[in-house]
Amino acid sequence: MNETFSKLVKELQAIVGERNATDDPAICTSYSRDQHWHFVPAKNPACIVRPGNKEEVRAVLMLANTHKIPVIPYSTGINVRGLTIPVHDGSILLDLSRMNRILEINPEMKTATVEPGVTFGMLLEQTRKYKLRPAFPDAPLTVSVLVNYYLRGIYQTSATDGHDHTISYEMILPNGETLKTGSRALSEMPYFRYGVGPDFAGMFCAHPGTCGVVTELTAKLYRLYDNRKEYFIGFDDVGTPTKFIYNLMNDDLAASIRLVDNQSWLKGIFGTFDYPYEKLPKFVLCVLIEGVDGIYEAKDKLVRAYMKECGGQVLELPAEFARTFEDECLGGAEKSCMVFGIKGRGNYHCIGLYGPLTLAAEYYEVHEKTALEVGIPQDHIHFYIDPIYSFHGQLCYFELDVFYDGSDEEFGDKLRNYNEKQFHRLLDLGIYGWFRPYAGIIEPTAERIGYLAEVWKKFLHVLDPNEIMNRGKLF
Amino acid sequence: MELEKEEILSAIHHCVKCKLCSIASFHPNEEWLPLCPSGEYYGYQAFYAPGKMEIFRAILEGEITEPSEGLLNSVYACTVCGACYEKCKQITSVELGAPDLFEAMRREMASKGWILDVHTSIADKIEETKNAYGEKYEYKVNAETTAGDADVLYYIGCTARYRVPEIADAMLGIFDKLGLKYQVMGEEWCCGSVLFRTGQVEAARELVAHNVEEIKKSGAKTVVFTCPGCLKTFKKDYPDMGVELLHSTQFLTRLGNMNLKKENLKAAYHDPCHLGRDLGIYEEPRAVLSEVADIKEMKREREQAWCCGSGGGVKSAFDDFALWSAAERLKEAKEAGAEALVSACPFCKRNLKEAAEKEELEVYDVVELVNRCLEG
Repeated sequence: MNETFSKLVKELQAIVGERNATDDPAICTSYSRDQHWHFVPAKNPACIVRPGNKEEVRAVLMLANTHKIPVIPYSTGINVRGLTIPVHDGSILLDLSRMNRILEINPEMKTATVEPGVTFGMLLEQTRKYKLRPAFPDAPLTVSVLVNYYLRGIYQTSATDGHDHTISYEMILPNGETLKTGSRALSEMPYFRYGVGPDFAGMFCAHPGTCGVVTELTAKLYRLYDNRKEYFIGFDDVGTPTKFIYNLMNDDLAASIRLVDNQSWLKGIFGTFDYPYEKLPKFVLCVLIEGVDGIYEAKDKLVRAYMKECGGQVLELPAEFARTFEDECLGGAEKSCMVFGIKGRGNYHCIGLYGPLTLAAEYYEVHEKTALEVGIPQDHIHFYIDPIYSFHGQLCYFELDVFYDGSDEEFGDKLRNYNEKQFHRLLDLGIYGWFRPYAGIIEPTAERIGYLAEVWKKFLHVLDPNEIMNRGKLF
Repeated sequence: MELEKEEILSAIHHCVKCKLCSIASFHPNEEWLPLCPSGEYYGYQAFYAPGKMEIFRAILEGEITEPSEGLLNSVYACTVCGACYEKCKQITSVELGAPDLFEAMRREMASKGWILDVHTSIADKIEETKNAYGEKYEYKVNAETTAGDADVLYYIGCTARYRVPEIADAMLGIFDKLGLKYQVMGEEWCCGSVLFRTGQVEAARELVAHNVEEIKKSGAKTVVFTCPGCLKTFKKDYPDMGVELLHSTQFLTRLGNMNLKKENLKAAYHDPCHLGRDLGIYEEPRAVLSEVADIKEMKREREQAWCCGSGGGVKSAFDDFALWSAAERLKEAKEAGAEALVSACPFCKRNLKEAAEKEELEVYDVVELVNRCLEG
């Protein structure tokens, strides 16, 4: 490391304390690679800085901005898409995990305000005292609440929670200015997304640390109900259950609806490897109903009526499977991570996207077709759908998964081929949007969005003229 | 356990970095309970299992070529407690665990000379004095009750000999009070645990050979240990000697009714990592303790117990961290309503006791309570 950079590390240590900034190569190496390493190769940040509060964040950003040093915000370290792996030499990785305070839980407003280091597990531990819960992504409950909501791509496990859980937030820009969105800009009440002017919360969302650093965020909380019931229905194809899913969504009947193949996610949803999953129909629809007395019973009656005509096979499964399904949907994903334990195939590649339920069968078809074309065996091909309330546009989250052996370099080549073909095919087929800006996804997408791409770049330039904020992850 | 490079890299590639290994099982109680002392204390990713694995990869692939301070700290400020592996195993059924990987990492580093001075000085002390503390070799036992031809041999271990003698005294007291014939080794050398755990495997060879020879000579059929670290080392790193190796609590459980006078004491049981996670011995210590005290359950127990902070060479090299980890455990015991925290390991006892200096909480080894409750 050169002398100038060593001087910079000293300055960073002066801001955050000696213990909280380092350019030690081994420490930096521990941040150099994530699950997406077949697509985003390992690269060390030049130093790691761990601020403890927003004033330290501000000082670090201003220093980096002055010297035009790239900054990569990083929350709790559960990164599976290569979004915190440096692109540029000499980058500062801003590890925000020390900022892990729950600033407020407001049961009257049904909101929580959190710092970036707060995980879903930490938050639920507190909100459940008020019979409330956050909207959970189907990601380990060790992930950051703030970052998942701010990045938007929330592939939630509860269909009724909607898509955007962010109400307002506070962001520090590279020049040290603070931006507050929604009602937060105007008052001490951060509880309304649409405050003054346009929906800035929306404009800044879905950026992987490319605008500034979000230091606190107010999110929606949802009720926890005592009444719950689960149904599992088997299908042999993706198309048949779509009518049933539509009915459930259209009548707002189910808290969670998840259509998964029988060889991957079901293990986590049921919480065991020890079950003859191959004997189940190829796809299983998992349905969870909840609600207050009266409404709950009415919902259950309607669900059972739709179930009779759904064309699937109602499955009788051990009672503990239902309990695990509840936990995973309404209490945060833990056992779902059992997919990482699929024998010889514990690594996980997915393309997550938003699209209409009407295209479900076609998404599956193109997933299977492309995978087989590039030499991915049939039994490595997996799939799931989460419909998302409200059902305007029949909005669903789709996940086109491949589970594989990450140590197999040749398989890595196959996956890269798969991606290259699949991004274009899915764009041709029609999607609403991508779940995350995966490596290689922005270029073919930007070509198709016309002047919006140009405006987007200009917007980023206004916020970050020196281009220090995680550049290379979008443009 | 000797691992091939390819096997190690494959295991590292399979870590998806979900970091669920850093917390105890969340469902169904929905409580956020950290499991990784090193990660919690130091904070950087390098101190959690996924970060350490990444560092190991970089060493094996030649990206790390110098022993920086951060490298030595992140690798050696880990108690190798294995809590991360237990959690990962529950979810993913992973077969090759972090403790094996981290010990392999330390061996790899030691082979390059990348080791802490304090750990090499322990090796020097062992070479000179045959014990890990460099103390003059001596331990007095009651000549009247020891018998050279006894079937049972009590292997005392360095820590109970020189730092926590009350454990050795208690165990010997139990033998005496119960009128059991036993022997101790005339020349007991360090078992080598600290050398194996810190990657200095070669330095342990002589110790192993000596102890094996002495035990064979003794004619003992059963060797009893109060130190789970010694027991683990004998079980995993020593050749099969054709003798039975038992922890003190297993030995006591087998004795059946000892006519113990139960005390009016609320005690939490702290699972030592080597005894629980490494050897799977969870029930016997509880069974023995329940004979002498009322057990109060802590939130993190058994496979998901919080480490006392003492193992893996941490106590000798990173005492502040070791004491912090112990203090966290004491807090948990007090929250459980315990008046005493009881372990079954001299390392745990020593570190917990030191951390409890200003606390209103007693710290014992289970054999101390048994000895106290035995009718003399």
